[in-house]
Amino acid sequence: MLMSATATTDTGRWTPRRVAIWAAVAVLGAVAWGILALARGESVNAVWLIVAALCSYAIAYRFYARFIATRVLGVDDSRATPAERLDNDVDFQPTDRRVLFGHHFAAIAGAGPLVGPVLAAQMGYLPGTMWIIFGVIFAGAVQDMVILFFSMRRDGKSLGQMARDEIGPLGGAAALVAVFAIMIILLAVLALVVVNALADSPWGTFSLAMTIPIALFMGFYLRVLRPGRVLETTAIGVGLLLAAIVLGGVIDHSSLAPAFTLSPKTLVICLVIYGFAASVLPVWMLLAPRDYLSTFMKVGTIGLLAVGIVFTLPVLQNEAVTKFASSGKGPVFAGPLFPFVFIIIACGALSGFHALIASGTTPKLIEKESQVRMVGYGAMLTESFVAVMAMIAASILDQGLYFAMNAPPGVVGATVQSASQAVTNLGFTITPDQLQAAAQQVQEQTLIARTGGAPTLAVGMSTIFSGAFGGDALKAFWYHFAIMFEALFILTTVDAGTRVGRFMLQDTIGNVWKPMARPSWRPGVYLTSAIVVGAWGYFLWVGVTDPLGGINQLFPLFGIANQLLAAVALTVATTILIKSGRVKWAWVTAVPLAWDAAVTLSASWYKIFSSDPLVGFFAQRDKYQQALDAGKVIPPAKSIDDVAQIVTNSTVDGVLSILFAALIIVVIADAARVWWQTLSGRREPVLAEAPAEESHLWAPSGLFPTAEDRARQAELRAEPVGAGRGRSDESGAGGDG
Amino acid sequence: MARLRRALAGALWYAREVLGENAYDHYLAHQRRDHPGGPVLSRREFECRRLDQLEVRPGQRCC
Repeated sequence: MLMSATATTDTGRWTPRRVAIWAAVAVLGAVAWGILALARGESVNAVWLIVAALCSYAIAYRFYARFIATRVLGVDDSRATPAERLDNDVDFQPTDRRVLFGHHFAAIAGAGPLVGPVLAAQMGYLPGTMWIIFGVIFAGAVQDMVILFFSMRRDGKSLGQMARDEIGPLGGAAALVAVFAIMIILLAVLALVVVNALADSPWGTFSLAMTIPIALFMGFYLRVLRPGRVLETTAIGVGLLLAAIVLGGVIDHSSLAPAFTLSPKTLVICLVIYGFAASVLPVWMLLAPRDYLSTFMKVGTIGLLAVGIVFTLPVLQNEAVTKFASSGKGPVFAGPLFPFVFIIIACGALSGFHALIASGTTPKLIEKESQVRMVGYGAMLTESFVAVMAMIAASILDQGLYFAMNAPPGVVGATVQSASQAVTNLGFTITPDQLQAAAQQVQEQTLIARTGGAPTLAVGMSTIFSGAFGGDALKAFWYHFAIMFEALFILTTVDAGTRVGRFMLQDTIGNVWKPMARPSWRPGVYLTSAIVVGAWGYFLWVGVTDPLGGINQLFPLFGIANQLLAAVALTVATTILIKSGRVKWAWVTAVPLAWDAAVTLSASWYKIFSSDPLVGFFAQRDKYQQALDAGKVIPPAKSIDDVAQIVTNSTVDGVLSILFAALIIVVIADAARVWWQTLSGRREPVLAEAPAEESHLWAPSGLFPTAEDRARQAELRAEPVGAGRGRSDESGAGGDG
Repeated sequence: MARLRRALAGALWYAREVLGENAYDHYLAHQRRDHPGGPVLSRREFECRRLDQLEVRPGQRCC
């Protein structure tokens, strides 16, 4: 007996109880937003940020995401997904929705949502938080869900392939270049965050270095000793990792400390060598075990942070909106609120990179079409919540300390006296003694100009954690725990990204020169790995040696590149909606696209044409070129070589800004041509969707099975084995109690 | 008490699924269903194959 799966049935009758619950959620959310927006001069508790976020997410998920899934996309559970049709137990495989949610979340969330909000906190907590929450609801989560759906309807095609199929070869090629460019910048910026966190910190450097032998051991254990025993391997790995952090504290006070006190430049060289090795070594040795470790630490630490915040209920020290929001002269990154807050916070609000994951593995594993809402939209809401917590961690710090840590060395100098003076000039106060004490508390030599977001977040997290568990005695441990956890999953991203970049390059060169396309041809592997590592290594080196400060120069470029990729994804989605005769719903992706294009292009405009040397790359270039011609050294440059270097860096960054802006214009213009041809009836739209097949598989669509789902499950269990393939094995409770 | 046990069992099931410890069980079920009577890899062979497949299909990791 074949069971015909029914389309998503709406069991949502509006009983008075349900109306009351949703009304209460709406009122609570409105109260929280009101408190955040209206508080001026008095301190606000972080719990209101959490309440505002959670209520907004709940309403968005219940109403907007549901509307998009049923009305705009038309999810159809009677239609078999590629996982069901092409099930080969390798890349296509129906996967439990909750497990897939975990996979997808682990793939999209990394250091991005933790770093961006910390930097954006210089403009106050409110602009960033509003963008994180409303951005995710109307843009970021929509993009993730829609791309996941369209890729699923196309047997898991990648974003680049969809751009080529639906827009054309030009749009496809531009998308491919965009993907490669963003990967390089992303890897360089993330690696820079690690370098800034580990420089001159023997404790952090030792702990992180230990992750390499730990991962190698785990790889060996998993491959040779106990194949497939991932859980026990990970448990051993986590135990060793915690031991490494504790041991790091001992090393810090021992005679071995100088051996692990590395300068930023040395760390760059180590990272480049490591990146190359990780890319050419077998995956099972380093990459796979590291990924287990990092996934586990990621989920664990994020959970711990949420518990810590709820437990300690910290008060925000940051202002709602600081003076830098309007002046655009903040030391952390320059430029006005619009567009730069929306560029600096990419992951957590709208991240184009996610489109690569939503069109990668996830669409090949999804069981039912209606689950795109939970997996695509739901996972992105969760990432957004991580970003909100990062904003809280940065905003509970004393603002003097925040600016002493996040302003570039050119501004704050190297001593506690110079930093204290610089912070006073910015309009905040912190004494040299307080700065010294803050560093001593976390057992670091200095906290001055520790840019990149990770150290700030680590101080914030250690404050929260030590408030909740262990008190001040454990503050240094928690600080290094937080540093370790960020560095660990940044390095996992660097490993995986280098490898993915290598494959893209091998593939592209392979079109022209056949041997290169073979993934196992060693010279090809070495050559392409070296090119990818060299590319991000160059930007990393530039970032570390830049006299103007690497993060404030490179992070905006990273944001622009990420939002550029989002523009590609939203353009592809809008094109598909228009071509499939759903032009009346095209606003769902077209409005976020318009916003994203406005943000990205105006940020590019500032970066290319602004006459302020702090903001515009070419104005910066001119200023230092004139100094170079005159043989003058102007601060923060310390020598004529520094000046020459600034000239080179600003030229490279400026040219990249032009490239990104040009790519975005090419993609949108090429797509607009297709829209016009379709809408004016000049061209019969051809969609690349895979033909529909009836589904014989059943699974609930939401996180929690409804009463109807449970009845269905019971029915399926009662059926004889082999009748249909309903996943009646809703094993365990899985938190659905 | 029964609820707690159920919750713990659920958490364990979830961790095993997410980390891929159950992949071999899924493979066996798949083979039995779609290729009954066909050859079946041992756990060691299967896990090595699974790791080697990652070689050409590394999971993308975002920021």
